Amino acid sequence: MRKPSTSTLILVAAVLVGIFVVSGGTYVVDEREQVIITQFGKPVGKPITEAGLRFKIPLIQKVNRFPKLLLEWDGDPGQIPTLDKTFIWVDTFARWRIVDPLLFFQTVGNEIWAQKKLDDIIDPAVRNAITSYHLIEAVRNTNRSPQELKLAGGEEAVGQELRVPIRVGREKITEIIQEQAAKKLLSFGIELVDVRIKRINYVEDVRKSVYERMVQERKRIAEKIRSEGKKQANIIEGNKTKRLLELRSQAYREAMEIKGEADAEAIRIYAEAYSRDPEFYAFIQSLEVFEQALDDKSILVLDTGSDLWNYLKRIEAPPSRRSEFK
Amino acid sequence: MPWNPREGQNGGLGGRRKSSPEEIFRWFGEGLRGKGPSPWLILAILAGIWILTSCVYKVDVEEVGIVQRFGRYVRTTQPGLHFKLPAGIERLTKVPIRKVFTEDFGLRTLRPGVRTEYAPSQQYLAESLMLTGDLNVAIVPWIVQYRINDPYRYLFKVRNVRETLRDLSEAIVRQVVGDRSVNEVLNRREFIAVEAKNALQKALDEADTGIRLVNLELKTTNVPKQVQPAFNDVNKAIQDKQKMIRAAEEQYNREIPAAEGKAKQIVQEALGYKIERVNRAKGDTKRFMAIWKEYKQAPEVTRRRLFLETMSKALPNVGRKVVLDQDLKGILPFLDLDRKGGAQ
Repeated sequence: MRKPSTSTLILVAAVLVGIFVVSGGTYVVDEREQVIITQFGKPVGKPITEAGLRFKIPLIQKVNRFPKLLLEWDGDPGQIPTLDKTFIWVDTFARWRIVDPLLFFQTVGNEIWAQKKLDDIIDPAVRNAITSYHLIEAVRNTNRSPQELKLAGGEEAVGQELRVPIRVGREKITEIIQEQAAKKLLSFGIELVDVRIKRINYVEDVRKSVYERMVQERKRIAEKIRSEGKKQANIIEGNKTKRLLELRSQAYREAMEIKGEADAEAIRIYAEAYSRDPEFYAFIQSLEVFEQALDDKSILVLDTGSDLWNYLKRIEAPPSRRSEFK
Repeated sequence: MPWNPREGQNGGLGGRRKSSPEEIFRWFGEGLRGKGPSPWLILAILAGIWILTSCVYKVDVEEVGIVQRFGRYVRTTQPGLHFKLPAGIERLTKVPIRKVFTEDFGLRTLRPGVRTEYAPSQQYLAESLMLTGDLNVAIVPWIVQYRINDPYRYLFKVRNVRETLRDLSEAIVRQVVGDRSVNEVLNRREFIAVEAKNALQKALDEADTGIRLVNLELKTTNVPKQVQPAFNDVNKAIQDKQKMIRAAEEQYNREIPAAEGKAKQIVQEALGYKIERVNRAKGDTKRFMAIWKEYKQAPEVTRRRLFLETMSKALPNVGRKVVLDQDLKGILPFLDLDRKGGAQ
């Protein structure tokens, strides 16, 4: 193996130095980044927030990059008692960005520490806010009118909780949290854009009693619906009975009226005719009754003094022209 | 393109194996002194390949290309074949802006398709369990579909857009559900979805995510299985109620028309009675008048005749006849009135 010539070595060395100067003396700032240049650990100049190609002194100056983007922070879900002493799990998240990279660099240093700072500041703020209000304030956001809350069957089945108006509401509570935490975070060069409650849930023990309450409430509703049904069925049945009695009595009344008219008419007709000769009518009617009354089971006792025997008993001429009927 | 010794050897030196760095260096030196093909030529060729591959790029139909020069955003390119400055100067990021992404909450899509299958929601209960406005617990699974609307914002404004979307989506759906009763959550899903979609879009815009929601859909909402029987019982109660009412109405409809018919019958019968009664009265009186008219011509004779005629008609039918003298008194006790008639 032969040694490379000196000129070759010089050429290679020059190329290497050139690469070093270019790579060490320039740096690229991405759209997503902001940069602080430090010289032996000390910040130099203003933070660079514009993206593009920049120059620096190789070796001596160091590039410290920080995200310019909106960053997220996920809270540690913790068990917090509300003002009404219900234990709930609250899971929060927040969004933040580094607005003062220099301050951020000096006070926090990097993102991992920033997350820790956020934990230390936002978690207690959440705790404070939740414990100072009733649970309903953290769950609900507005006082929606309960008229809209009706079952499909027209049953109103709203828990008492919805009728209680809220004073603050979830959005306001998160604003309180944010306000409280944002002030403190500003001194670290951090802007807290918002804090939101991701999840609220009952802890296990509370959940059990809530389920029990839900079951009781449903039972009450079901019972109410059933008795409502019974009520309406009874109303219909009562109506039915009323209608039946009404129909029957009305028919009876009408029938009696008609019969009465009929009888009156008949009486009028009879009276008109028979009053021409009441005596004759009585005679004719007696004969008819007599004829109809006698049958093979009757025993007829005839007195010889009766008209039938009149002529048989006394053959002489009658003393008067008219015979008497008994 | 990475520096690959094997490739260089195959392309330029035809089968001679040089794998260790020393050997390559030596070969390089040999080349400089005129042995073998010029290494500068090889370098030039490799540089050409590198420039070509890093300068020409293709953007697919569903994407746009975002080009950054030294980290700075310079342009957005539409689908097609494009040029850019080589790597190190300009960087390309492709963003699929026409693709619709789906995020599932409280469930997971197993096999997307016309009939999408979902994994059981029990597994993701933490995502879907939420408190309603009446402090009940409901299970609300939902999906969010979105497109990247503004690739610049999507890339440069928010870190981890997907996570932001998930967090915001959970917070907002819970906020909307938190204002509603459990009944509404169970029966009025569409309204909740519409409200949540609007609120979520607003929050995404405020956060500069560059995302546009395509759809937010609530899947079948439910209550925890511990309370499901009680909720089902309410539904059953509604049915029971309707059943009771229907039964009563049926009974009504069965009895009332019959009673109406009966009432009409009674009235009609009375009318019939009236007609009969009047007709009979008229008949009777007509007959009487007829007889009376004749009777008036000769009252004495007719009277006797009528009497005797009746007697002669009636007497033969009589079972037993007893003739008593009018002077005889106290005969009745001796008559055997108990004997049933008929014996002559």
